[in-house]
Amino acid sequence: MLGVMYALIAVGFTLFFGVLDVIHFSHGDIFMLGAFAGLTALAGLGAAGLGAPAVALALAFAGSILVVGLLGVLAERMCVRPLARSSPLMTLLATLSLGLVIREAVLIFYPRGADPKPFPQLLPAGGFELGGVAIRYENLAILAIALLAMVTVDLLINHTRMGAAIRAVAQDPEAAQMMGVNLDGTVDLTFFIGSGLAAIAGILSGLYYSEIHFVMGVSGGVIGFSAAAIGGLGNVYGAILGGLLFGMVQTLSAALIPRGSEFRDVVAFAVVMLFLIVRPSGILGEKRVERV
Amino acid sequence: MILVLLTETLIASLVVAALLAERPASLAATGLAGATGLVAVGLVPALRAALGRAFARHRATALTGGAFAALLLPYFLRGSPYWTFVATMALMYVTIGQGLNLQIGTAGVINLAGAAFAGLGGYTVGLLTTAAGCPSWLALLAGPWVAVVLGALLFVPILKTRGHYLALVTIAFVFIFNTLMNNLEFTGGPQGIKNIPTLRILGHAFTTPPTVLGVRLPAHANFYFLALLMAALTTWTVRRLHDSWLGLALNTLRDDEIAARCCGVSVTQGKLVAFSIGNFFIGLGGSFYALMVGFVSPPDFDFGYSLVMLSVIIIGGVDSIAGVVLGACLLVPLPERFRVLHEYRLLLYGVVIVLTLLYRPRGLWPVSVRRYR
Repeated sequence: MLGVMYALIAVGFTLFFGVLDVIHFSHGDIFMLGAFAGLTALAGLGAAGLGAPAVALALAFAGSILVVGLLGVLAERMCVRPLARSSPLMTLLATLSLGLVIREAVLIFYPRGADPKPFPQLLPAGGFELGGVAIRYENLAILAIALLAMVTVDLLINHTRMGAAIRAVAQDPEAAQMMGVNLDGTVDLTFFIGSGLAAIAGILSGLYYSEIHFVMGVSGGVIGFSAAAIGGLGNVYGAILGGLLFGMVQTLSAALIPRGSEFRDVVAFAVVMLFLIVRPSGILGEKRVERV
Repeated sequence: MILVLLTETLIASLVVAALLAERPASLAATGLAGATGLVAVGLVPALRAALGRAFARHRATALTGGAFAALLLPYFLRGSPYWTFVATMALMYVTIGQGLNLQIGTAGVINLAGAAFAGLGGYTVGLLTTAAGCPSWLALLAGPWVAVVLGALLFVPILKTRGHYLALVTIAFVFIFNTLMNNLEFTGGPQGIKNIPTLRILGHAFTTPPTVLGVRLPAHANFYFLALLMAALTTWTVRRLHDSWLGLALNTLRDDEIAARCCGVSVTQGKLVAFSIGNFFIGLGGSFYALMVGFVSPPDFDFGYSLVMLSVIIIGGVDSIAGVVLGACLLVPLPERFRVLHEYRLLLYGVVIVLTLLYRPRGLWPVSVRRYR
């Protein structure tokens, strides 16, 4: 359950790495913005009197994806692209600082931004039992929405002209440009898609924990990046797999180890570290040839 | 020579004025004076050349003058214990920054776990003094070594992974460190360790205000002088290392690992040596912090502080030793100075760093090309 959210964030990291070879560290805070945009949209719709939860939720998703996607493109234009050619350390620090700016902006400018915000429960409550395992409708709905998002992105990347352009830029930006691909447009599009996915993850996280907070982006970002790295940066399926694995390790360690819920992040990050020692470029590997 | 001393006096008095200015008007005046000076130096090539020549010729005088100004600073700040404390923090960040700069700047080993290594130093001091009853001075010396030894946990990932993956491993290390400190029993959990006994010299406790040459200074001045000594020794050591064959070898392996290997530079040895020496100084800074404030807790060493440390070296100029000093002396006091802006200051801090990276990517004091004569 947690895994699918991580996977959605990780796909963003991996897409950005694919097209620009950068790690966009403020992506975690973009995820947080997604949750806040969704909450604002829901509050607005509630005030406007649109009662039906399904309609409200769909509109909130659409609004959040649009707004946060555009903000992601803005972040890329301002902060990521100008530095993409300089050392990775620069982009790292620039995007980390941008994340700080986003966090502080939410803290200051969102009404009562310092408090955790309750997130409305719009998914059907209740559940059923299947072979001794309690399954809640809420979790099923989250799973379904996340899967839908992932399948859509997969179709978008593998079966459309746009997707072909993204894949071409990821392989070789210069060659892609020579083939008539609009480089800037494609990069913008990639950031829109990635940030939109983070927005979906943000709302899902709000629905799951029924609470959102302005610092949720820090751990969300680090976990998403870990997931993308486990899977192999630049590989979309790797990122999904990595996200699911990370969620699984967390859940298992919380369940199996005494006092595990306190130490679940320790276990999960230790697994990530060990994993990167054994397979320094992820499960599915990053395509890379070292040239001298 | 007179030009050198005059410039240094001007800078020192501007710094003191900027720190002590209470009203916005006087603050604006000092800011304006400083900006005028910078613009004058920047726009008049003759002035810049004259200053550069004077400083190059009278290096010893310049350094003595600088040391003198640094020693006198607590005297001018004697009315304000708070600013003495901030100046001490800046010097602590010089120490930490030099260590981190050796790793990231000189050797290219990305380390985002600075906060964790400082924390290891700090927690070692806390545990040794409160639980084991060890003398504070001994603890201050032991802290850095613990950071070095536990840093060995990251040896394998450092050699195996690079770039973004290494960044991730070190981020994971900070998170693990923080979660452990928060949840383990013997480290005091979220409460941390309180009542760390302070340092003493010849029966003089560091918490009592010292009287130097008949002038009574705030209690933090004790720590200021110790931090000054620590930062000066660290900077001197790192400078010597940087100028030695080791620094050159580290630069080579940072720029191109394979080429360095071909020229007979041991990448394994170089990276691990740089990483360990760097951790020593970062741990030293952390140990000092624990003794200065008297307690340690997990939020003192969270990931955000890794970023502050990283910003210090990037703002100053990666691999630039003078840049680290400048970066620490700017980045630590500035947010405190703008406490007036209170809730906006972290926001501005982020904006300033992003802008510096965009428009001044090599830092405020870029490293100069190595010259051998």
